[in-house]
This record gives sequence, C-alpha cells and structure tokens, in this order.
Amino acid sequence: MNILVCIKQVPDDSVEVTMGADGKPAVEGITPVVNAFDTYALEMATRLKETLDDGSEITALCIGPDSAKNSLKNCLAVGADYAYLVNNESVDETDAMGIAHILKGAVEKLVAEKGKFDLIFTGKEATDVALGHTGIYLAYRLGAAVITDAMDLEVKGDRVTVKHETEEGHRVIEAPLPVVLTVTKPAYDPRYPTIKNKMAARRKPIDELKLGDLVAMDQLTAKIKTVSEYEPPRRAAGVKIKEESEEESAVKAIQMMVDAKVL
Amino acid sequence: MDKISYNKVTKDIVEQLSKACNGHVLTGDQINDDFCHDEMRIYGTAMPDVVVEAETTEEVAAVMKICNEHEIPVTPSGARTDLAGGPVAKYGGVILSTMKMNKILSYDVDNLVVTIQPGVLLNDLAQDALSKGLMYPPDPGEKFATVGGNVSTNAGGMRAVKYGTTRDYVRAMTVVLPTGEVVHEGATVSKCSSGYGIKDIMIGSEGTLGIITELTLKLIVAPKATMSMIVPFPTLEEAIGAVPKLFAAHLNPQALEFMEKDVVIDTEKLLGKEVYPKTMEGVDINAYVLVTFDGNDEDGLMDTIEAASEVVLEAGAVDVLVADTPQQLRDAWAIRSSLLESIEGNTKLLDECDVVVPITKIPEFLTYAKSLQEGHSYTIKDFGHAGDGNLHIYLCSNDDDKEAFMKESDEFMKKVYVKAVELGGLISGEHGIGSGKMDYLKDFVGPVNMRLMRGIKQVFDPNMILNPGKVCFDPEEDYTNE
Repeated sequence: MNILVCIKQVPDDSVEVTMGADGKPAVEGITPVVNAFDTYALEMATRLKETLDDGSEITALCIGPDSAKNSLKNCLAVGADYAYLVNNESVDETDAMGIAHILKGAVEKLVAEKGKFDLIFTGKEATDVALGHTGIYLAYRLGAAVITDAMDLEVKGDRVTVKHETEEGHRVIEAPLPVVLTVTKPAYDPRYPTIKNKMAARRKPIDELKLGDLVAMDQLTAKIKTVSEYEPPRRAAGVKIKEESEEESAVKAIQMMVDAKVL
Repeated sequence: MDKISYNKVTKDIVEQLSKACNGHVLTGDQINDDFCHDEMRIYGTAMPDVVVEAETTEEVAAVMKICNEHEIPVTPSGARTDLAGGPVAKYGGVILSTMKMNKILSYDVDNLVVTIQPGVLLNDLAQDALSKGLMYPPDPGEKFATVGGNVSTNAGGMRAVKYGTTRDYVRAMTVVLPTGEVVHEGATVSKCSSGYGIKDIMIGSEGTLGIITELTLKLIVAPKATMSMIVPFPTLEEAIGAVPKLFAAHLNPQALEFMEKDVVIDTEKLLGKEVYPKTMEGVDINAYVLVTFDGNDEDGLMDTIEAASEVVLEAGAVDVLVADTPQQLRDAWAIRSSLLESIEGNTKLLDECDVVVPITKIPEFLTYAKSLQEGHSYTIKDFGHAGDGNLHIYLCSNDDDKEAFMKESDEFMKKVYVKAVELGGLISGEHGIGSGKMDYLKDFVGPVNMRLMRGIKQVFDPNMILNPGKVCFDPEEDYTNE
C-alpha cells in the first residue's frame, strides 16, 4: 500500500501566543513542531503499515520553510519512509485552497515517481489557524473520497473502514480506495522514536519539490483574507464559594448558575 | 532552666499585630483549613491563632518584634507544600505567610542575578527567567512551592545532578531575625571569604532561625536545546548500574531519574497518557531511567544522545527512546513530575523518607527497604534521582488504623535510616527534617551536633519563638540549660 501523510509545521501550541507590535501573532521565538493532528495521522498510518506488514510505504510531505526539514526528519524517525518538502518561503499569503493546489501538484509529481497513493492522511486541522479546510479541498482537487475526523481505520482488500468521530461518539464509514482521511485524536498517543530510528532519520535525505513545478502562482491567490487578528479576552477571575458545608456550597453554586441563566 | 512555655495570643496582641502590618491579619473563621497542615498531614495538624499575610520586610520585622516581646510562637509559611511538617504551627500562635510577598523585583542580566520576594512561586520564577533567555537551574518536583520555601529546605530536584541544589544559587538575602532585627547576608558576587557564612546557615534552616524577606539568586544563560532519553531496563539493578557508566563516559546529564514500572503505570492512568513501554522486543520492562542533556547545538546534543545510548545499551538497556520535541519532553517529564501525586491519590495513609545514598548503593538500599514490607500492612513505592542517589520512598497503606500505621512506619524508618547511614548516606536529601524527622535526626547526628544546632538557634532566637518543634528544638523535650 502506498500512503501519503501531509504535515504542517506550526508553533508549539502549548505556548501562549501574544500579539506582536506589528499587530500579528508573535510566533518567531516559539519552537516549530509538527501539527499535533498530523502526528496522530502519521501514527495511524504507521500502525496500519505495521499491521499490514506487506511492504507498504509512507511518504511524508510538508509545505513550509526550510526549517521544516527538521520536522520531516522527526517524521522519518517515527514511521515515514520518505520525506519531501515544498519550500513556500517565496509565497507571501495564500489560503487552504492555495495549499490544496500545491498539494495536488505535489501528489501528481510523487505519483509519477512512486505510483498511486491508496490513502492520503492529513490532520483534521492545524493547531495554529484551526480552520480544518485543507484535507477537504485536497480531496476535492484530487477527485477522491474524503472521510473527516478519523479516529481509527481498517483496510481490507481495496476498501477502508473508518471510525468517524461525532459529537455523541462515532459512526463507521466504509469507502473504496483511494481515500483522503482527516485525522482526529485517536485512542493512542504518537510513539517516541527509538535511538536507532532517530539516527537513521538523521542520515536520510529530505527531498525538495520546487513550488514552480507544482502549481501556477495565480492559483495561490488567497480567496479568504484575514481581516484582523486579536487576543481573546482574558478570562475573569472565578468566584470562591465557601459555605459552612459542602452541601450548602453546592446549593449556592447551583443557585448562581440559575441566576446567570446557565441552568 | 525550665521547659519553655509560650504566651497566648490575646485580643490586644491581635490588635497590635494588625496595626503593625496594615491589617493583613486573619483570625478565627477567616483562617483557611489549609493553614493547619502541609503535604504530610501524618506528622500532625494544628491551627494557628493568627495568620499574618505580610507584604513587606518592615511588616515582618514589626510582627516579629511584637511576638518576641510577648513570647508568642511564630511559624513561617509559604505555599505549604513541605513534606516534613515544617510550616505547621505545632504550638499555635502566629503563622507568618509570605505568599503575598510574591514579586520578582529586578533582574541584573549582566551579572546574571535576579532579586525576588520569598513568596514567588518556583514555576513563576522559572518561566519569567526563561522569557528573558535565562534559567534558574534548581528544579524540585513541586513547581508551585515558593522559592523562599525552597531556600529554607535547600531543595534539590531533577537538575541537581548537573547544576547543584538551591544553595548554589543563593547570592544574597534579607532576613528578619526572631527579635525583629533586619540583616542582609551575602552580596551579588560569586566569592565570599568575609566571616562566618550566615547566609549558608539560613539556607536549609527550615524557618527556625529567621524569616527570609528578599532573595538575590544566581541565574545562568538558558541552554538553547534539551533532549531526553527514556531508557527501559529489565531490572532496577541494571538501570542503576548504567548510571556510573554514563559519568565515566564523560557525559554530563542535566537530569537523571529512575522509576519503577508499578508507579509509572499508576501515574500514566492518572494522566491518561501511555508513554513508557512495558514490554519491548518480548522483554518485560521493570525499571526506567529518564535522562536529559542540555546544550546549545542540536547536532552536538544528538551526538551526546547517541554516545549515551551506546553506554546504556551496553549496560543492559532494552532500547532507547528519544524525546526531543516539546510534546515528547512534556509527556515524558509529566509522568516523572506526577509520581508523588499518583501515589498520594491511591493511598489513605502515607509516610515517606528521602534518604540520599551513594549512587552505587541504590539497589542494595532499595532491596533492603522493600524486604521490610513483608508481613506488614503497608507497601513500598519508590522513585528518585538516580544521578545523585536521592531516593523518595513511600510507605503506603489503605488501612484506617493510623496509630498502627505510625508504629509500623516508625519501625521501618528507624531501620532504613540506619541502613542509609551504614551505606554512607544521609537521612534527608532535600525534604528537610521539619517535625516529622526530628527523632531520626537526633539518632543520626548525635548529641554534640544537636547541641551545636540548638546553640546556633539560641543565638538567632533567644526566646526560641521561631518555628518551635522543628529540626533541632522542641520546647517540650529539649529546652534545658545544657
């Protein structure tokens, strides 16, 4: 099976982002990492590869700056067999539709080298802008089926069965391959690389695909414009409820929620 | 001289205290129950008559003066995360809380020092320093302790193996003596040969000699990168056996911790994360070493990790997992930082010791300690700082009979402290003596050292009002004219 995992490099999402003097989020000093949902996607793909144990291969693909090579090396250490970077530092501004255009161009280029992809994984969203558009636009551009919010999957023959997360739980969706999957948090965590895999990944090359070979620049013009960005309002301090007994405290808490029309 | 007795806090004294510290005084129902205990309730609980939430050195000095004059006991208190009963007002009186003295006052970046009030939380200082590219190296497990509390117990923590303990980072301090006099000790310099080191006597004195109201602390330029290794071993012996080999290979880890499987499993359940492998390549894993290296060059650091991996694999490690992304580092260390919380959550009655032994003696000590649980109602859980031999051993019982547990615990502690000393160790590496370990300290240091300690206390505190019942002086047992 031929598997593609698309990753994005984002600022470490555990760090609180503040607005810079230029009115944009100040992310320069924040460590770049692989988007958390993309790490889940890669782990899901790697587990599938291990389960199939049939010589399946995983290619990791990233559109990003040169520094994203480090993120791709991390992918090579935890399951990816090949890694490709599309350097987009020359692009001032694009949107998810533009990114999907680049990804489509990259997929076609890679297909020419490696053959058709059976499964294409993306995270369900990136933790920086959290729009959740890219995987869906990519499927549209490729004319492939898309299953969003995948929690788990099983491949039998040329069909994939996916657990799709819903508000209440999950539903099971089956589709013929090829399929684009957008992945949510599964029941497991991404693995840690072993030293052997880490050292091997360090020595593997990161191949570059030239942006100009993949897409016409006018396809990158952003149709969605960011009008403004601002910090969310600070949460107000909580109210301490300290009645004589726990029961009285609970009654008071409920009354406060009733008064505030929460209940 | 007779045994000392303290005076009661009268309405008039409360008024004097309130006037002296701009009304920052709590009494009766205003005093939260949290002021009656620290993290180890088993060493006893006691409510103070008054809590003073001082905001300045002057307020602390005025309060001490009044209490000294009226012979009222005073117990200094920070975030109350102590593990030896230190901030419990055993003889009532006043608790003097430094929690409102929580400002980072100034940085001197060129001289790499920061000046703070004692109630600043360790976590806040560490984060603030990091935002300036600086690091405050001491890193005790409890990040929400006050730095003043850390200084008072000479807290150590994970990074002690490379950077030393809190003592190594205290450059200067302002201290209010029990008499209300204010003194400044040390200076913003790295050397001192200027008379007795009073600053160093204050460090680790657990609030029995004076109240620290300002601290000047040494910082270092923060390393640019850190990487950790999770190293699984079939046995604890093999895990600890690898530690001296790392040092012998000229490797200088920032942190070097060991954990055993049962405590790790409980903690992973608590945090809802599975990080540490339980079997690898068909081998059952029973112990882990968690190692961190820091440096300024990622490639160089990776070379170090590779070299360290060769050493531990040679020493019997089943494999090595590398944590070098922020998420991987957070998760690997979150388990280590939550081991105690997990043990506490699964245990009704808990006692602990934090002996320190030579690194090579860790397996022998732990084997001995665990052998003592046979035939008893308690179980032993442990983890610790493999890099410096400081072990945290917990006696855990889910019985309800506290008295029986305390008796069993006392027998256990007496035996393990004898063993620790026999192996060349000490009875406390970083948690301190407080009230919980006073008797064991006496047994360990002997009468001459106890006389010296009490003598020092009396010089600082002629009326013996500051934190009585802790470390070396208990008015019910010790106050004689020896």
